[in-house]
Amino acid sequence: MIKFRPGNLQVPKQMRPVYLVAAGQSDYKKRYPEKKTEELAVEAFRMLALENELKVDGIQELKGYIHTACYGHFADHFGDQLLGEALIHDRLGLDPLGNVGIKTGGATGGSTLWIAANLVASGYSDCSLAMGWERMDEVDTWTGNHYIATAADKDYETELGHIYTGYYALMAQRYWKVFGKGSPAFRRTMSKIAVKNRRHAYSNPFSQTHGKITVEDVEKSPIVADPLRFYDACLMSVGVAGALLCSEEVAYKLTDHPVRIWVAAGSHTLRTADRRHMEIPLLPHEEDDEKIKKHYAKLKGAEGDERYPGFTGFLAARMASNYAYRMCGIRNPLEDLDLVELHDAFTISDIQTYEDIGLRPYGYGPEYIESGDAYLKVPNDGSFPKELVGKKGRLPANLSGGLIGCMHAVGATGIMQVVELFWQLNKRWAHFHARPEMWERFGKEKPKDLENLQVPNAKRGLAISHAGVGSHVTCTILMRPEAVIAK
Amino acid sequence: MSKQSYDYDNLNPTATVLRGLDPMVIEKPRAPIHIHTYGGETPFFQGLAQGKLMATKCKNRKCKPAGKEGQVFLPPRVYCPDCLEKTAWVDVTEAARTTAKIHTHITVANPGAFNRVPVPCEVISVEIEGVNTIMMSYLRSGKPQIGLPIQPVFETAKPTFTILDLSWEPRKVEKAEKKK
Repeated sequence: MIKFRPGNLQVPKQMRPVYLVAAGQSDYKKRYPEKKTEELAVEAFRMLALENELKVDGIQELKGYIHTACYGHFADHFGDQLLGEALIHDRLGLDPLGNVGIKTGGATGGSTLWIAANLVASGYSDCSLAMGWERMDEVDTWTGNHYIATAADKDYETELGHIYTGYYALMAQRYWKVFGKGSPAFRRTMSKIAVKNRRHAYSNPFSQTHGKITVEDVEKSPIVADPLRFYDACLMSVGVAGALLCSEEVAYKLTDHPVRIWVAAGSHTLRTADRRHMEIPLLPHEEDDEKIKKHYAKLKGAEGDERYPGFTGFLAARMASNYAYRMCGIRNPLEDLDLVELHDAFTISDIQTYEDIGLRPYGYGPEYIESGDAYLKVPNDGSFPKELVGKKGRLPANLSGGLIGCMHAVGATGIMQVVELFWQLNKRWAHFHARPEMWERFGKEKPKDLENLQVPNAKRGLAISHAGVGSHVTCTILMRPEAVIAK
Repeated sequence: MSKQSYDYDNLNPTATVLRGLDPMVIEKPRAPIHIHTYGGETPFFQGLAQGKLMATKCKNRKCKPAGKEGQVFLPPRVYCPDCLEKTAWVDVTEAARTTAKIHTHITVANPGAFNRVPVPCEVISVEIEGVNTIMMSYLRSGKPQIGLPIQPVFETAKPTFTILDLSWEPRKVEKAEKKK
């Protein structure tokens, strides 16, 4: 049971502004025997250094600015390598600079950015590299599922199915009953998310999957843990993503197009079992909204047995976004942001997160999809009413393809999201996604029906990085300098 | 616990198998054994083998917000997460027999490697009156649904000394309880 005191709710503060200056990544694959992780890391770094219009003469000059490195890598047992950070650091030729390994499950990428941003914000470093990776192809899929399931409590949970999808399915079942009223419409909303993210992945050369799917495909795919099916779940991947974070002075030395970055973090119990009822902490735009407050007061009581966050919400995501919004002056995410990259580990957790971060009130998450808000343009695929087709969404989500369509190379995921947001805010989506040579580089052919996923005039973006069934969550906000809200 | 030495050459074969030449890919088989302790949570697992469901309770009257009532934890915690004082063991078997019901449930059709629950596994989360948490377990018979009254079944004949020694089955409900 959580009772906050003032110290807990301190608004996080950067002692000086932090900028994202450059970003790069490898392509992502389920199995990647052609290259070692160290090679992929060097390739991601080369992209970061050489393809972001930096005002430096090559890699060695850029390396001259770097002061520290933060490395996100989650699962030592998957990679079968302890201290892989040291190996990558050596391959990047960054010795003898200080570096640190960071691991917070699925949120590892976000946490890595959190640490790198804080190194710059505090003044310790003027330039810090954040890089994350995962190698999940040394074991077969079912052993892989067991390995992931050891990120549940091994004495009380892992034995029960050895599969993380199951631990999310428990939430899906409860959410479906309580808020979805057991209706098939809720199943359909979950399916639409999988379809949307796979469709976005189709136009992303870095993606692991390139097949378009339909709502029917999702609903006919094999059940992993009822009600979650194969297409409701994220991918298992190999790949690397990196970002360079700098002080204002170094940022403008290196580029004419830096982007401001803020990162905040929250947490909650690893076991959903232990999530005792509490009052819902309010986001800035909910504080004066009597209707929402009345609705929240009813969440426990009317239904009799519903609790918050219980099995339907992620307190960690609410905390991380609450800290982040107050840190950078966001009042209403739906109005203040232009695009988001959410941690769609499963279709159900994507819906839950809409509510945690305030895109919809608790209980109304599916509306974010059904209203068309989550789309760049509502698709004409028969799953939306005619009057919505072609409508521009208010806040497009997961244009990268997300974890369901693009990748989930765990330690890289939270950074991949920010790489994509960075390119979006700098209007360079086409440069990295639509040129035929980007596809050829990864041994692929650019699809003829590639969709232009550049968000016109995108100025502010958000990324959620999420671990466990909500044990760690980070919220990263990017803003173009002219669009900064809080001075 | 008796001391045991393992024949690691047989448990953990190191002979490599070539899977591919270019890129060169090899198999690295292994079967390590982990020696794992339940530590201060031992009474819970001892209890399962004896047919008892043991939880822990915060007895610290100054603990906020638990207060006089004292929060009851299942899975058990050696220390209260709020005040970090040591908790006391309480037997909740009777409460489980008379008040337990399903909070949420799933059917695992495709479990990960090393799963020992019969497939399809009916994994459930269990509400028990007087317990502040909702532990995960599995239903050994019957069709799960939210709110279904259930009772615990303990593997006392051949315990595995894991959480799998506890499972649940549907419970017949007395008329008086139904009215409630």
